[in-house]
Amino acid sequence: MMKKGLFVALLTALSVLVSAEEVRPPLAVEPTGIIETLPERYPADWFLVHDAAFFHMSDGKVYVLDTDKDSIGDQVQGMFPLSLMGSFIEAPSRGEILAIETFHTRGTRGDRIDVLTIWDTVNLSAIAEVILPAGKRFMGMPERVALQLLKGDRWLAIFNLSPSTSVTLVDLDTRAVLGEIPTPGCSFIYSNGDLGLSALCADGRMLTVLLNEDGSEKSRILSDVFFDSDDSPIFERPARVGDIAYFPAFDGRVQPVALTGSAALPMASWSLFGKGEESWAPSGIGIDGEDDLGRIYFLMNSEANGVEGMHNAGGSEIWVFDPEARRRVLRIPLEAWGLSLAVSRGEEPKVLVTNPTDMSVELYDGLSGSFIKKLTGFGQETPLLLRGAQ
Amino acid sequence: MMSFIDRLLEQRARSVAQRAPRRGMLKALGGVLVGASALPLLPVARAAGPEGAARPQETGSDTDCDYWRYCAIDGFLCSCCGGSANTCPPGTEMSPVTWIGTCHNPADGRNYVISYNDCCGKPGCGACLCQRDEGDRPPYRPDKTNDINWCLGTSSASYHCSAAVVVGVAFEE
Repeated sequence: MMKKGLFVALLTALSVLVSAEEVRPPLAVEPTGIIETLPERYPADWFLVHDAAFFHMSDGKVYVLDTDKDSIGDQVQGMFPLSLMGSFIEAPSRGEILAIETFHTRGTRGDRIDVLTIWDTVNLSAIAEVILPAGKRFMGMPERVALQLLKGDRWLAIFNLSPSTSVTLVDLDTRAVLGEIPTPGCSFIYSNGDLGLSALCADGRMLTVLLNEDGSEKSRILSDVFFDSDDSPIFERPARVGDIAYFPAFDGRVQPVALTGSAALPMASWSLFGKGEESWAPSGIGIDGEDDLGRIYFLMNSEANGVEGMHNAGGSEIWVFDPEARRRVLRIPLEAWGLSLAVSRGEEPKVLVTNPTDMSVELYDGLSGSFIKKLTGFGQETPLLLRGAQ
Repeated sequence: MMSFIDRLLEQRARSVAQRAPRRGMLKALGGVLVGASALPLLPVARAAGPEGAARPQETGSDTDCDYWRYCAIDGFLCSCCGGSANTCPPGTEMSPVTWIGTCHNPADGRNYVISYNDCCGKPGCGACLCQRDEGDRPPYRPDKTNDINWCLGTSSASYHCSAAVVVGVAFEE
Protein backbone atom coordinates (compact mmCIF):
# COMPACT_ATOMS: atom_id res chain seq x y z
CA MET A 1 0.00 0.00 0.00
CA MET A 2 2.81 2.32 0.91
CA LYS A 3 4.69 1.44 -2.23
CA LYS A 4 1.68 2.20 -4.38
CA GLY A 5 1.26 5.60 -2.71
CA LEU A 6 4.89 6.47 -3.35
CA PHE A 7 4.56 5.47 -6.97
CA VAL A 8 1.55 7.70 -7.46
CA ALA A 9 3.32 10.61 -5.80
CA LEU A 10 6.38 10.26 -8.06
CA LEU A 11 4.18 10.03 -11.12
CA THR A 12 2.37 13.18 -10.14
CA ALA A 13 5.62 15.05 -9.54
CA LEU A 14 6.96 13.97 -12.92
CA SER A 15 3.87 15.08 -14.74
CA VAL A 16 4.14 18.48 -13.08
CA LEU A 17 7.75 18.78 -14.26
CA VAL A 18 6.81 17.82 -17.78
CA SER A 19 4.05 20.38 -17.75
CA ALA A 20 6.45 23.05 -16.56
CA GLU A 21 8.84 22.10 -19.37
CA GLU A 22 6.03 22.37 -21.86
CA VAL A 23 5.08 25.85 -20.82
CA ARG A 24 8.69 27.18 -20.60
CA PRO A 25 9.07 29.73 -23.40
CA PRO A 26 11.38 28.73 -26.24
CA LEU A 27 14.62 30.50 -27.00
CA ALA A 28 14.18 33.75 -28.82
CA VAL A 29 14.91 33.82 -32.50
CA GLU A 30 18.41 35.24 -32.88
CA PRO A 31 19.53 37.69 -35.48
CA THR A 32 22.13 36.49 -37.97
CA GLY A 33 25.03 38.36 -39.39
CA ILE A 34 26.37 39.77 -36.15
CA ILE A 35 30.16 40.23 -36.23
CA GLU A 36 32.11 40.95 -33.09
CA THR A 37 34.29 44.02 -32.78
CA LEU A 38 37.33 44.91 -30.70
CA PRO A 39 38.28 48.01 -28.72
CA GLU A 40 40.06 50.70 -30.69
CA ARG A 41 43.11 50.38 -28.48
CA TYR A 42 43.85 46.89 -27.28
CA PRO A 43 44.26 46.53 -23.48
CA ALA A 44 47.69 46.05 -21.96
CA ASP A 45 47.12 42.35 -21.29
CA TRP A 46 46.58 41.65 -24.97
CA PHE A 47 49.33 40.19 -27.14
CA LEU A 48 49.68 39.65 -30.87
CA VAL A 49 51.04 36.17 -31.55
CA HIS A 50 52.64 35.72 -34.97
CA ASP A 51 52.27 32.11 -36.07
CA ALA A 52 54.52 32.03 -39.13
CA ALA A 53 53.13 28.59 -40.10
CA PHE A 54 56.63 27.28 -40.73
CA PHE A 55 55.29 24.11 -42.36
CA HIS A 56 52.92 25.91 -44.75
CA MET A 57 54.16 29.46 -44.95
CA SER A 58 51.44 30.90 -47.16
CA ASP A 59 49.04 30.30 -44.25
CA GLY A 60 50.76 32.53 -41.69
CA LYS A 61 48.53 34.34 -39.23
CA VAL A 62 48.50 36.61 -36.20
CA TYR A 63 46.30 35.77 -33.20
CA VAL A 64 45.02 38.53 -30.92
CA LEU A 65 45.01 37.08 -27.40
CA ASP A 66 43.71 38.42 -24.10
CA THR A 67 46.10 36.80 -21.65
CA ASP A 68 44.11 38.01 -18.65
CA LYS A 69 41.39 35.47 -19.39
CA ASP A 70 41.41 31.81 -18.46
CA SER A 71 39.49 29.98 -21.16
CA ILE A 72 40.12 29.69 -24.88
CA GLY A 73 36.78 31.26 -25.64
CA ASP A 74 37.69 34.37 -23.70
CA GLN A 75 41.37 34.49 -24.64
CA VAL A 76 41.07 34.45 -28.43
CA GLN A 77 39.82 37.85 -29.56
CA GLY A 78 40.42 37.45 -33.27
CA MET A 79 42.99 36.78 -35.96
CA PHE A 80 44.26 38.10 -39.26
CA PRO A 81 46.29 36.33 -41.97
CA LEU A 82 49.89 37.12 -42.83
CA SER A 83 50.98 35.27 -45.95
CA LEU A 84 54.48 33.96 -46.72
CA MET A 85 56.60 34.91 -43.72
CA GLY A 86 55.09 38.38 -43.50
CA SER A 87 55.85 41.24 -41.15
CA PHE A 88 53.49 43.48 -39.19
CA ILE A 89 53.47 46.47 -36.90
CA GLU A 90 50.73 48.12 -34.86
CA ALA A 91 49.95 51.80 -35.41
CA PRO A 92 47.59 52.53 -32.49
CA SER A 93 47.49 56.26 -33.25
CA ARG A 94 45.93 55.37 -36.59
CA GLY A 95 43.76 52.49 -35.34
CA GLU A 96 45.56 50.28 -37.83
CA ILE A 97 47.76 47.23 -38.07
CA LEU A 98 50.14 47.32 -41.03
CA ALA A 99 51.05 43.98 -42.57
CA ILE A 100 53.44 43.10 -45.38
CA GLU A 101 52.50 39.95 -47.27
CA THR A 102 53.29 38.07 -50.47
CA PHE A 103 50.94 36.12 -52.73
CA HIS A 104 51.21 34.25 -56.00
CA THR A 105 48.24 34.23 -58.35
CA ARG A 106 48.13 30.43 -58.38
CA GLY A 107 49.02 29.81 -54.76
CA THR A 108 52.66 28.77 -54.91
CA ARG A 109 53.10 29.78 -58.58
CA GLY A 110 52.02 32.49 -60.94
CA ASP A 111 52.64 36.21 -60.72
CA ARG A 112 54.06 37.44 -57.43
CA ILE A 113 52.29 40.21 -55.56
CA ASP A 114 53.90 41.98 -52.60
CA VAL A 115 51.40 44.10 -50.75
CA LEU A 116 50.96 46.25 -47.66
CA THR A 117 47.62 45.20 -46.16
CA ILE A 118 46.09 47.70 -43.73
CA TRP A 119 43.83 46.21 -41.04
CA ASP A 120 41.64 48.31 -38.80
CA THR A 121 41.99 47.37 -35.15
CA VAL A 122 38.27 47.51 -34.32
CA ASN A 123 36.93 45.22 -37.03
CA LEU A 124 40.13 43.37 -37.94
CA SER A 125 39.11 44.02 -41.53
CA ALA A 126 41.41 44.77 -44.43
CA ILE A 127 40.47 48.38 -45.17
CA ALA A 128 43.16 49.28 -47.70
CA GLU A 129 46.22 48.00 -49.47
CA VAL A 130 49.28 49.37 -51.21
CA ILE A 131 50.92 47.28 -53.91
CA LEU A 132 54.69 47.20 -53.36
CA PRO A 133 57.49 46.71 -55.86
CA ALA A 134 57.54 42.93 -56.35
CA GLY A 135 60.34 40.70 -55.22
CA LYS A 136 62.02 43.07 -52.80
CA ARG A 137 60.56 42.89 -49.33
CA PHE A 138 62.42 41.04 -46.58
CA MET A 139 61.07 37.52 -46.18
CA GLY A 140 62.52 35.50 -43.34
CA MET A 141 62.17 34.57 -39.71
CA PRO A 142 59.86 37.17 -38.13
CA GLU A 143 61.58 40.38 -37.03
CA ARG A 144 60.48 43.46 -35.11
CA VAL A 145 62.92 45.59 -37.12
CA ALA A 146 61.64 44.79 -40.63
CA LEU A 147 59.10 47.64 -40.36
CA GLN A 148 59.18 51.03 -38.63
CA LEU A 149 56.84 54.00 -38.38
CA LEU A 150 58.26 57.45 -39.06
CA LYS A 151 57.05 61.05 -39.24
CA GLY A 152 54.49 60.78 -36.45
CA ASP A 153 53.17 57.46 -37.74
CA ARG A 154 52.45 58.88 -41.19
CA TRP A 155 55.17 56.93 -43.00
CA LEU A 156 55.84 53.21 -42.97
CA ALA A 157 59.42 52.15 -43.71
CA ILE A 158 59.70 48.61 -45.13
CA PHE A 159 63.00 46.71 -45.18
CA ASN A 160 63.90 45.05 -48.50
CA LEU A 161 66.38 42.20 -49.02
CA SER A 162 66.42 40.80 -52.52
CA PRO A 163 69.36 40.20 -51.58
CA SER A 164 70.32 43.81 -52.32
CA THR A 165 69.14 45.94 -49.42
CA SER A 166 66.97 49.05 -49.36
CA VAL A 167 63.99 50.65 -47.64
CA THR A 168 60.63 51.32 -49.30
CA LEU A 169 58.81 54.31 -47.86
CA VAL A 170 54.97 54.37 -47.90
CA ASP A 171 52.77 57.37 -47.12
CA LEU A 172 49.99 55.89 -44.98
CA ASP A 173 47.69 58.89 -45.47
CA THR A 174 47.73 58.79 -49.27
CA ARG A 175 48.23 55.01 -49.39
CA ALA A 176 51.05 55.43 -51.89
CA VAL A 177 54.70 54.46 -52.22
CA LEU A 178 56.87 57.52 -51.66
CA GLY A 179 60.13 56.06 -52.85
CA GLU A 180 63.02 53.73 -52.15
CA ILE A 181 66.15 54.46 -50.13
CA PRO A 182 69.17 52.29 -50.97
CA THR A 183 71.06 50.92 -47.98
CA PRO A 184 73.79 48.85 -49.67
CA GLY A 185 75.40 46.36 -47.31
CA CYS A 186 73.18 47.45 -44.43
CA SER A 187 70.03 45.76 -43.12
CA PHE A 188 66.86 46.32 -41.12
CA ILE A 189 65.38 49.58 -39.90
CA TYR A 190 65.98 51.25 -36.55
CA SER A 191 64.01 54.46 -36.17
CA ASN A 192 66.33 57.38 -35.51
CA GLY A 193 64.39 60.53 -34.73
CA ASP A 194 61.13 61.28 -36.47
CA LEU A 195 62.66 61.68 -39.92
CA GLY A 196 65.59 59.30 -39.77
CA LEU A 197 66.45 55.63 -39.87
CA SER A 198 69.53 53.56 -39.22
CA ALA A 199 70.59 50.13 -40.48
CA LEU A 200 73.16 47.53 -39.35
CA CYS A 201 75.98 46.95 -41.81
CA ALA A 202 77.93 43.78 -42.56
CA ASP A 203 81.21 45.62 -41.98
CA GLY A 204 80.36 46.34 -38.34
CA ARG A 205 79.12 49.90 -38.77
CA MET A 206 75.71 51.51 -38.68
CA LEU A 207 74.30 53.58 -41.52
CA THR A 208 72.05 56.53 -40.73
CA VAL A 209 69.87 58.17 -43.37
CA LEU A 210 68.07 61.41 -42.54
CA LEU A 211 65.05 62.37 -44.66
CA ASN A 212 63.41 65.55 -45.85
CA GLU A 213 59.74 66.33 -45.22
CA ASP A 214 58.84 64.91 -48.63
CA GLY A 215 60.60 61.61 -47.97
CA SER A 216 63.62 62.35 -50.12
CA GLU A 217 67.07 61.72 -48.73
CA LYS A 218 68.66 64.61 -46.87
CA SER A 219 71.94 63.08 -45.75
CA ARG A 220 73.64 59.81 -44.85
CA ILE A 221 76.51 58.98 -42.56
CA LEU A 222 78.25 55.81 -41.35
CA SER A 223 79.30 55.23 -37.75
CA ASP A 224 82.67 53.91 -36.72
CA VAL A 225 83.12 50.13 -36.73
CA PHE A 226 81.84 48.78 -33.40
CA PHE A 227 81.50 45.02 -33.96
CA ASP A 228 82.92 42.20 -36.09
CA SER A 229 80.17 40.33 -37.93
CA ASP A 230 82.37 37.22 -38.22
CA ASP A 231 84.05 36.94 -34.85
CA SER A 232 81.95 38.98 -32.39
CA PRO A 233 78.55 39.44 -33.98
CA ILE A 234 75.65 41.22 -32.36
CA PHE A 235 72.05 40.15 -32.78
CA GLU A 236 70.02 42.35 -35.11
CA ARG A 237 67.20 42.49 -32.55
CA PRO A 238 67.70 45.17 -29.90
CA ALA A 239 65.70 45.97 -26.80
CA ARG A 240 64.80 49.62 -27.13
CA VAL A 241 64.38 52.20 -24.37
CA GLY A 242 63.79 55.69 -25.68
CA ASP A 243 66.60 56.71 -27.98
CA ILE A 244 68.93 53.87 -27.03
CA ALA A 245 68.91 50.49 -28.75
CA TYR A 246 70.48 47.72 -26.67
CA PHE A 247 71.85 45.09 -29.06
CA PRO A 248 72.67 41.77 -27.36
CA ALA A 249 75.84 40.12 -28.62
CA PHE A 250 76.62 36.44 -29.23
CA ASP A 251 79.28 36.62 -26.51
CA GLY A 252 76.94 37.79 -23.74
CA ARG A 253 77.61 41.51 -23.93
CA VAL A 254 75.07 44.19 -24.65
CA GLN A 255 76.00 46.93 -27.11
CA PRO A 256 74.05 50.17 -26.65
CA VAL A 257 73.70 52.52 -29.63
CA ALA A 258 72.23 56.01 -29.29
CA LEU A 259 69.73 56.88 -32.03
CA THR A 260 68.86 60.51 -31.37
CA GLY A 261 68.03 61.83 -34.82
CA SER A 262 71.60 62.08 -36.01
CA ALA A 263 74.42 59.66 -36.77
CA ALA A 264 74.08 56.41 -34.83
CA LEU A 265 76.45 56.59 -31.88
CA PRO A 266 77.79 53.30 -30.44
CA MET A 267 78.32 53.49 -26.68
CA ALA A 268 80.43 51.38 -24.34
CA SER A 269 79.31 47.75 -24.19
CA TRP A 270 78.80 45.87 -20.95
CA SER A 271 78.41 42.27 -19.88
CA LEU A 272 75.08 40.61 -19.17
CA PHE A 273 76.66 37.86 -17.09
CA GLY A 274 78.49 38.02 -13.79
CA LYS A 275 81.25 36.01 -12.21
CA GLY A 276 80.58 32.28 -12.51
CA GLU A 277 78.05 32.86 -15.31
CA GLU A 278 80.51 33.00 -18.19
CA SER A 279 78.78 30.21 -20.11
CA TRP A 280 75.54 32.22 -20.44
CA ALA A 281 74.60 34.14 -23.57
CA PRO A 282 71.41 35.36 -25.28
CA SER A 283 69.79 32.82 -27.59
CA GLY A 284 66.53 32.36 -29.44
CA ILE A 285 64.39 34.09 -32.06
CA GLY A 286 62.52 36.93 -30.34
CA ILE A 287 65.22 37.19 -27.72
CA ASP A 288 64.54 40.51 -26.06
CA GLY A 289 62.09 43.20 -25.07
CA GLU A 290 61.59 46.28 -22.95
CA ASP A 291 58.95 47.60 -20.55
CA ASP A 292 57.53 50.99 -19.64
CA LEU A 293 59.65 51.00 -16.48
CA GLY A 294 62.76 51.31 -18.62
CA ARG A 295 63.94 47.77 -18.02
CA ILE A 296 65.26 45.42 -20.73
CA TYR A 297 64.73 41.66 -21.01
CA PHE A 298 66.93 38.98 -22.58
CA LEU A 299 66.31 35.28 -23.17
CA MET A 300 69.42 33.53 -21.84
CA ASN A 301 70.99 30.13 -22.51
CA SER A 302 73.45 28.63 -20.00
CA GLU A 303 75.43 26.77 -22.69
CA ALA A 304 75.53 29.24 -25.56
CA ASN A 305 78.49 31.47 -24.80
CA GLY A 306 81.42 30.65 -27.05
CA VAL A 307 79.62 27.69 -28.66
CA GLU A 308 79.17 28.08 -32.40
CA GLY A 309 75.64 27.48 -33.62
CA MET A 310 73.81 27.96 -30.32
CA HIS A 311 72.50 31.49 -30.88
CA ASN A 312 69.06 30.41 -32.14
CA ALA A 313 68.45 27.57 -29.68
CA GLY A 314 66.47 29.55 -27.10
CA GLY A 315 67.05 29.56 -23.38
CA SER A 316 65.93 28.46 -19.94
CA GLU A 317 65.80 31.87 -18.22
CA ILE A 318 64.90 35.48 -18.88
CA TRP A 319 67.17 38.07 -17.31
CA VAL A 320 65.85 41.57 -16.63
CA PHE A 321 68.20 44.55 -16.38
CA ASP A 322 68.18 48.17 -15.36
CA PRO A 323 70.24 49.40 -18.33
CA GLU A 324 71.26 52.68 -16.78
CA ALA A 325 72.66 50.98 -13.70
CA ARG A 326 73.87 48.06 -15.84
CA ARG A 327 72.46 45.83 -13.16
CA ARG A 328 70.37 42.68 -13.34
CA VAL A 329 67.19 43.18 -11.35
CA LEU A 330 65.39 39.87 -11.92
CA ARG A 331 65.93 36.31 -13.12
CA ILE A 332 62.89 34.46 -14.47
CA PRO A 333 63.44 30.69 -14.63
CA LEU A 334 61.13 29.32 -17.30
CA GLU A 335 58.88 26.32 -16.75
CA ALA A 336 60.38 24.47 -19.71
CA TRP A 337 62.25 26.38 -22.39
CA GLY A 338 61.83 29.66 -24.24
CA LEU A 339 62.24 30.58 -27.90
CA SER A 340 60.75 34.09 -28.12
CA LEU A 341 59.44 36.65 -25.68
CA ALA A 342 57.38 39.83 -25.60
CA VAL A 343 56.63 42.27 -22.79
CA SER A 344 53.30 44.02 -22.20
CA ARG A 345 53.02 47.76 -21.75
CA GLY A 346 52.15 49.48 -18.47
CA GLU A 347 53.42 49.67 -14.91
CA GLU A 348 52.79 45.97 -14.22
CA PRO A 349 54.46 44.25 -17.17
CA LYS A 350 53.73 40.67 -18.10
CA VAL A 351 56.04 38.54 -20.21
CA LEU A 352 54.71 36.13 -22.80
CA VAL A 353 57.11 33.40 -23.90
CA THR A 354 56.97 30.80 -26.69
CA ASN A 355 57.65 27.37 -25.24
CA PRO A 356 59.06 25.34 -28.17
CA THR A 357 58.68 22.00 -26.42
CA ASP A 358 54.92 22.07 -27.02
CA MET A 359 54.55 25.32 -29.00
CA SER A 360 52.38 26.85 -26.31
CA VAL A 361 52.85 30.37 -24.97
CA GLU A 362 53.41 30.98 -21.27
CA LEU A 363 52.74 34.08 -19.21
CA TYR A 364 55.04 35.33 -16.44
CA ASP A 365 54.87 38.28 -14.07
CA GLY A 366 57.50 40.81 -15.12
CA LEU A 367 57.87 42.18 -11.59
CA SER A 368 58.04 38.99 -9.51
CA GLY A 369 59.10 36.56 -12.21
CA SER A 370 56.41 34.09 -11.18
CA PHE A 371 54.71 31.79 -13.66
CA ILE A 372 51.07 32.75 -14.25
CA LYS A 373 49.59 30.46 -16.87
CA LYS A 374 50.01 28.51 -20.07
CA LEU A 375 47.91 29.39 -23.13
CA THR A 376 47.55 26.72 -25.77
CA GLY A 377 45.08 25.07 -28.11
CA PHE A 378 44.09 28.34 -29.77
CA GLY A 379 45.06 27.05 -33.22
CA GLN A 380 48.73 27.89 -33.04
CA GLU A 381 51.41 25.74 -34.66
CA THR A 382 54.66 27.73 -34.71
CA PRO A 383 54.21 30.99 -32.76
CA LEU A 384 57.67 32.31 -33.56
CA LEU A 385 57.27 36.00 -32.74
CA LEU A 386 55.20 37.65 -30.02
CA ARG A 387 54.36 41.32 -29.56
CA GLY A 388 52.66 43.08 -26.67
CA ALA A 389 49.68 45.23 -27.72
CA GLN A 390 50.75 48.85 -28.08
CA MET B 1 55.49 19.70 -35.89
CA MET B 2 57.25 17.40 -33.49
CA SER B 3 60.34 17.25 -35.64
CA PHE B 4 60.64 21.01 -35.39
CA ILE B 5 60.52 20.81 -31.62
CA ASP B 6 62.85 17.84 -31.51
CA ARG B 7 65.37 19.57 -33.69
CA LEU B 8 65.34 22.71 -31.64
CA LEU B 9 66.06 20.74 -28.52
CA GLU B 10 68.44 18.36 -30.22
CA GLN B 11 70.49 21.29 -31.41
CA ARG B 12 71.39 22.19 -27.86
CA ALA B 13 73.19 18.92 -27.29
CA ARG B 14 74.61 18.56 -30.74
CA SER B 15 76.32 21.87 -31.13
CA VAL B 16 79.03 21.09 -28.60
CA ALA B 17 79.86 17.73 -30.10
CA GLN B 18 79.91 18.85 -33.67
CA ARG B 19 81.92 22.03 -33.69
CA ALA B 20 83.85 21.79 -36.90
CA PRO B 21 86.94 23.97 -37.33
CA ARG B 22 85.90 27.30 -38.78
CA ARG B 23 89.38 28.46 -39.70
CA GLY B 24 89.00 27.35 -43.31
CA MET B 25 86.34 29.88 -44.18
CA LEU B 26 87.61 32.46 -46.62
CA LYS B 27 86.38 35.86 -45.53
CA ALA B 28 86.66 37.08 -49.08
CA LEU B 29 84.21 34.43 -50.17
CA GLY B 30 81.74 35.81 -47.68
CA GLY B 31 81.13 38.80 -49.88
CA VAL B 32 80.22 36.71 -52.87
CA LEU B 33 76.80 35.23 -53.40
CA VAL B 34 77.46 31.86 -54.89
CA GLY B 35 75.60 31.18 -58.10
CA ALA B 36 74.36 27.70 -58.87
CA SER B 37 75.48 28.09 -62.47
CA ALA B 38 79.06 28.54 -61.35
CA LEU B 39 79.40 25.35 -59.39
CA PRO B 40 82.83 23.77 -59.82
CA LEU B 41 83.30 20.04 -60.06
CA LEU B 42 83.07 18.22 -56.82
CA PRO B 43 86.75 18.06 -55.82
CA VAL B 44 86.54 14.63 -54.33
CA ALA B 45 84.87 13.29 -57.47
CA ARG B 46 88.07 13.85 -59.42
CA ALA B 47 89.74 11.27 -57.23
CA ALA B 48 87.47 8.51 -58.45
CA GLY B 49 89.48 5.39 -59.12
CA PRO B 50 91.01 2.51 -57.26
CA GLU B 51 92.13 4.67 -54.37
CA GLY B 52 88.77 6.44 -54.19
CA ALA B 53 86.99 3.14 -54.13
CA ALA B 54 89.02 2.00 -51.19
CA ARG B 55 88.29 5.06 -49.05
CA PRO B 56 84.74 6.41 -48.80
CA GLN B 57 84.53 10.02 -49.91
CA GLU B 58 81.54 10.72 -47.73
CA THR B 59 79.99 8.83 -44.86
CA GLY B 60 76.60 9.01 -43.24
CA SER B 61 73.08 9.36 -44.55
CA ASP B 62 72.00 12.47 -46.42
CA THR B 63 68.55 12.17 -44.88
CA ASP B 64 70.05 12.57 -41.41
CA CYS B 65 70.31 16.06 -39.91
CA ASP B 66 73.74 15.11 -38.58
CA TYR B 67 75.09 14.52 -42.11
CA TRP B 68 78.31 16.47 -42.47
CA ARG B 69 77.15 18.83 -45.23
CA TYR B 70 74.28 20.20 -43.19
CA CYS B 71 76.40 22.03 -40.60
CA ALA B 72 74.82 25.43 -41.30
CA ILE B 73 71.44 24.39 -42.70
CA ASP B 74 67.99 25.41 -41.53
CA GLY B 75 65.05 23.91 -43.36
CA PHE B 76 63.57 20.76 -44.89
CA LEU B 77 66.20 18.40 -46.32
CA CYS B 78 65.64 17.91 -50.07
CA SER B 79 66.92 14.35 -49.65
CA CYS B 80 63.61 13.60 -47.92
CA CYS B 81 61.49 15.45 -50.49
CA GLY B 82 62.28 13.74 -53.80
CA GLY B 83 65.64 15.39 -54.34
CA SER B 84 69.04 14.61 -52.86
CA ALA B 85 71.73 16.35 -50.86
CA ASN B 86 72.64 18.43 -53.91
CA THR B 87 69.58 18.30 -56.20
CA CYS B 88 66.06 19.66 -56.05
CA PRO B 89 62.89 17.54 -56.17
CA PRO B 90 61.04 17.23 -59.49
CA GLY B 91 59.12 20.27 -60.63
CA THR B 92 60.82 22.72 -58.31
CA GLU B 93 63.23 25.51 -59.13
CA MET B 94 66.67 25.90 -57.55
CA SER B 95 67.44 29.36 -56.21
CA PRO B 96 70.45 30.88 -57.97
CA VAL B 97 71.52 32.85 -54.89
CA THR B 98 72.37 31.18 -51.63
CA TRP B 99 73.97 31.32 -48.26
CA ILE B 100 77.12 29.38 -47.60
CA GLY B 101 78.72 27.46 -44.80
CA THR B 102 81.99 25.67 -44.23
CA CYS B 103 81.61 22.06 -43.16
CA HIS B 104 84.15 19.45 -42.15
CA ASN B 105 84.00 16.15 -44.07
CA PRO B 106 85.14 13.49 -41.61
CA ALA B 107 85.69 10.99 -44.44
CA ASP B 108 88.64 12.89 -45.92
CA GLY B 109 89.46 15.38 -43.18
CA ARG B 110 88.90 18.40 -45.39
CA ASN B 111 86.72 21.46 -44.92
CA TYR B 112 84.39 22.31 -47.80
CA VAL B 113 82.43 25.39 -48.76
CA ILE B 114 78.79 24.37 -48.94
CA SER B 115 76.20 26.32 -50.91
CA TYR B 116 72.72 25.92 -49.43
CA ASN B 117 70.43 26.29 -52.43
CA ASP B 118 66.73 26.49 -51.65
CA CYS B 119 64.33 24.66 -53.94
CA CYS B 120 61.25 26.72 -54.67
CA GLY B 121 57.84 26.83 -56.31
CA LYS B 122 55.91 24.34 -54.19
CA PRO B 123 54.65 24.40 -50.60
CA GLY B 124 56.98 23.48 -47.77
CA CYS B 125 58.04 19.83 -48.08
CA GLY B 126 57.43 19.23 -44.39
CA ALA B 127 59.85 16.30 -44.01
CA CYS B 128 63.21 16.09 -42.24
CA LEU B 129 63.28 19.56 -40.76
CA CYS B 130 66.86 20.25 -39.74
CA GLN B 131 68.29 23.26 -37.97
CA ARG B 132 72.03 23.57 -37.47
CA ASP B 133 73.49 27.02 -37.23
CA GLU B 134 77.26 26.59 -37.23
CA GLY B 135 78.68 29.72 -38.82
CA ASP B 136 75.22 31.23 -39.21
CA ARG B 137 75.10 34.98 -38.76
CA PRO B 138 72.18 37.45 -38.56
CA PRO B 139 70.68 38.61 -41.87
CA TYR B 140 72.89 41.71 -41.96
CA ARG B 141 75.39 39.16 -43.26
CA PRO B 142 73.19 37.78 -46.05
CA ASP B 143 75.95 35.54 -47.36
CA LYS B 144 76.08 33.67 -44.05
CA THR B 145 72.48 33.67 -42.87
CA ASN B 146 69.96 30.86 -42.92
CA ASP B 147 67.18 32.98 -41.40
CA ILE B 148 65.79 34.29 -44.66
CA ASN B 149 63.81 32.68 -47.44
CA TRP B 150 66.40 32.17 -50.16
CA CYS B 151 63.81 31.71 -52.91
CA LEU B 152 65.24 34.86 -54.45
CA GLY B 153 65.69 35.26 -58.17
CA THR B 154 63.22 32.44 -58.72
CA SER B 155 59.82 32.62 -60.38
CA SER B 156 58.15 31.69 -57.09
CA ALA B 157 58.92 32.79 -53.55
CA SER B 158 57.39 29.62 -52.14
CA TYR B 159 60.02 27.68 -50.15
CA HIS B 160 60.02 23.89 -50.56
CA CYS B 161 63.33 22.48 -49.24
CA SER B 162 67.09 23.09 -48.99
CA ALA B 163 69.94 21.34 -50.80
CA ALA B 164 73.60 21.39 -49.74
CA VAL B 165 75.98 21.60 -52.70
CA VAL B 166 79.77 21.28 -52.39
CA VAL B 167 81.22 24.26 -54.26
CA GLY B 168 84.87 24.02 -53.29
CA VAL B 169 87.52 23.08 -50.78
CA ALA B 170 87.85 25.73 -48.09
CA PHE B 171 91.25 27.36 -47.96
CA GLU B 172 93.19 27.28 -44.74
CA GLU B 173 93.75 30.72 -43.24
